[in-house]
Amino acid sequence: MILKIARRNIWRSKKRSLTLLLAISLGLWSGMFLIAFYNGMIEQRVNAAIQDEISHIQIHHPNFLNDHESRFIVPDAEKTIKLIKENSSVKAVAGRLILFGMIASPSGSTGIKINGIQTEAENKLTQLSSKLIDGHYFTPSKRNEIIIGQKLANKLKLNINKKTILTFQDTAGNLASAAFRIAGIFKTQNTPFDETNVFVNIEELDSLAGLKGGIHEIAVLLYSNNSLDSCLQRFKSVLPELEVKSWIEISPEIGITVSAGTQMVYIYMGIILLALTFGIINTMMMSVLERTREIGMLLALGMNKFKIFTMILWETCFLILAGCPVGMILAFITIAITHHTGIHLNNYSEVYANFGYSPVVYPNLNMDQLIKIIFMVIITALVSAIFPAQRALKIKPASAIKN
Amino acid sequence: MKQAVIDAHNLSKIYDEDSIPVVALDHAQLHLNRGEFTAIKGPSGSGKTTLLNMIGGLDHPSSGYVEINGTNITKLHGNALIDFRLNNIGFVFQSYNLIPVLTAKENIEFIMLLQKIPAKQREMRVLELLKQVGLENKGDKRPGELSGGQQQRIAVARALASKPQFILADEPTANLDSVSATNLLDMMLKLNEEENMTFVFSTHDQRVISRARRVITLEDGKIVEDTAPAKITNGINLLE
Ligand SMILES: Nc1ncnc2c1ncn2[C@@H]1O[C@H](COP(=O)(O)OP(=O)(O)O)[C@@H](O)[C@H]1O
Ligand SMILES: [Mg+2]
Repeated sequence: MILKIARRNIWRSKKRSLTLLLAISLGLWSGMFLIAFYNGMIEQRVNAAIQDEISHIQIHHPNFLNDHESRFIVPDAEKTIKLIKENSSVKAVAGRLILFGMIASPSGSTGIKINGIQTEAENKLTQLSSKLIDGHYFTPSKRNEIIIGQKLANKLKLNINKKTILTFQDTAGNLASAAFRIAGIFKTQNTPFDETNVFVNIEELDSLAGLKGGIHEIAVLLYSNNSLDSCLQRFKSVLPELEVKSWIEISPEIGITVSAGTQMVYIYMGIILLALTFGIINTMMMSVLERTREIGMLLALGMNKFKIFTMILWETCFLILAGCPVGMILAFITIAITHHTGIHLNNYSEVYANFGYSPVVYPNLNMDQLIKIIFMVIITALVSAIFPAQRALKIKPASAIKN
Repeated sequence: MKQAVIDAHNLSKIYDEDSIPVVALDHAQLHLNRGEFTAIKGPSGSGKTTLLNMIGGLDHPSSGYVEINGTNITKLHGNALIDFRLNNIGFVFQSYNLIPVLTAKENIEFIMLLQKIPAKQREMRVLELLKQVGLENKGDKRPGELSGGQQQRIAVARALASKPQFILADEPTANLDSVSATNLLDMMLKLNEEENMTFVFSTHDQRVISRARRVITLEDGKIVEDTAPAKITNGINLLE
């Protein structure tokens, strides 16, 4: 009967209950969608970083990542690459020769990372050719070709077929310079990457630097991130003398983006729920105060405080529980649709690209987050239900009933 | 001597004790026996509601105490007092008696539900009570769909439902037209005669007072007159 009274009480002030229902569903809807959107953005960023730049796993000489000295090469690199290729989880693998140096054009010069790449294997790994916006990919017959990013090309006022000079240290410690002709200009979603990376043929760079077949970096792309841990363990055990690192270890800032992002979404949700809590408390307080007389009457008749408390608690919970499914269903529908179509942030694509984000976002929500959201909503319901119920207990029957 | 259902000893109530004290009840002494049909009359502000609140356990006196069937209810607080009211006292208020979201039937049943009476028994008793107050066909109506007089009848039925020691009614007819008022009183009187239910009600309506078997007059919180039931049984009408 208490449940019945509570349920029917909700419909006494239709307007107020509907407003609250609307607020709860809208709050939940927007909160969940925001989380899903954020997820999509982060996932995109991570995927792009893995697909375009880092790959899932990188293997180096144990000292290379600290010193970046050209002598820290992977011994027996060809054998190692062959070994990795045999693993069925591996989609693509390529070796790179990496030197840090300068690029110069008639209008200026800047520091860059020179990637000497195995042109065919690299293209399978990072699909560099698909990112070209001008020119063409490496032609086997041509020598001294270089591919640079759009941002860098703009900065140095370089165009297709223009000449540019790369300067770097060779193994002997002497400065070496070489002229390259621009074959292609690429553009990724990550502008800083485009500004600081250039690609040349590994054999040419090798002979210029005098490394004699040296490889600094072996990048491994897996079919799925799910097999990351098992592959890591496998490679670590068969290559004990090398440093085997996952993308999270290679690029901790992306790991931070992910974890900061996950914390961020809960803060968003928390703020939305906090606002809702105040709204619910306020509304229910009003509803309790308006019914002072009736509650006084119930107390007079013999409905004890525990039952009064429970009644108000149920009223609040009913309201919230009615609003939640509506908000959640709306959220699921919107997320499902936008997950399919993607959201195009055309107007801001430049801004996002500057931070390495894609202009198309595919919102999604995972189970873990959904459970946490539901948990947060339940806490909200309880917290916002307790205060109005508490208020009802303060009512004194004699003064409440007074005519 | 018959055991009193209600026994009020030296009841005083002073409101606003720390600013301007108002003596609402001044050393009231009251004995009510089972089966009495008592009206408390007096001008507005004379302390009728205050007195009824004290003997109904809705408020605590500043001094003195109230015994209901031998239990000193002035010593009871919180849920113990609420439970005592539930099982011993029936209430009919001036207005807003019923829970608006429940039907007449459910309003009557509600009190028995609080008493944890089994469903079968509740159902039977609800029908019986509806018949007693002459509203068999209004059981499924909500209070808003009933007239003022009908609402008060349902309130009386609900007060009866808990099988209380007595029923307290603070100006039950104040919001009713005179026909409904006399009808309600006649119905209460009938219940008093047939079921030996004790009624105490306050009023300043002469027609209502004229139906009482005993009339207690309050003035400035003091009981100034108490026409004994014995005199009525003698057939002498003391009422003007
Ligand atoms: N809660 C209260 N606080 C202060 N004064 C009160 C309160 N309730 C009643 N009074 C005062 O006590 C006196 C008696 O009131 P009441 O018992 O309501 O009289 P009646 O019911 O006969 O009209 C009045 O003077 C009234 O103003
Ligand atoms: Mg009064």
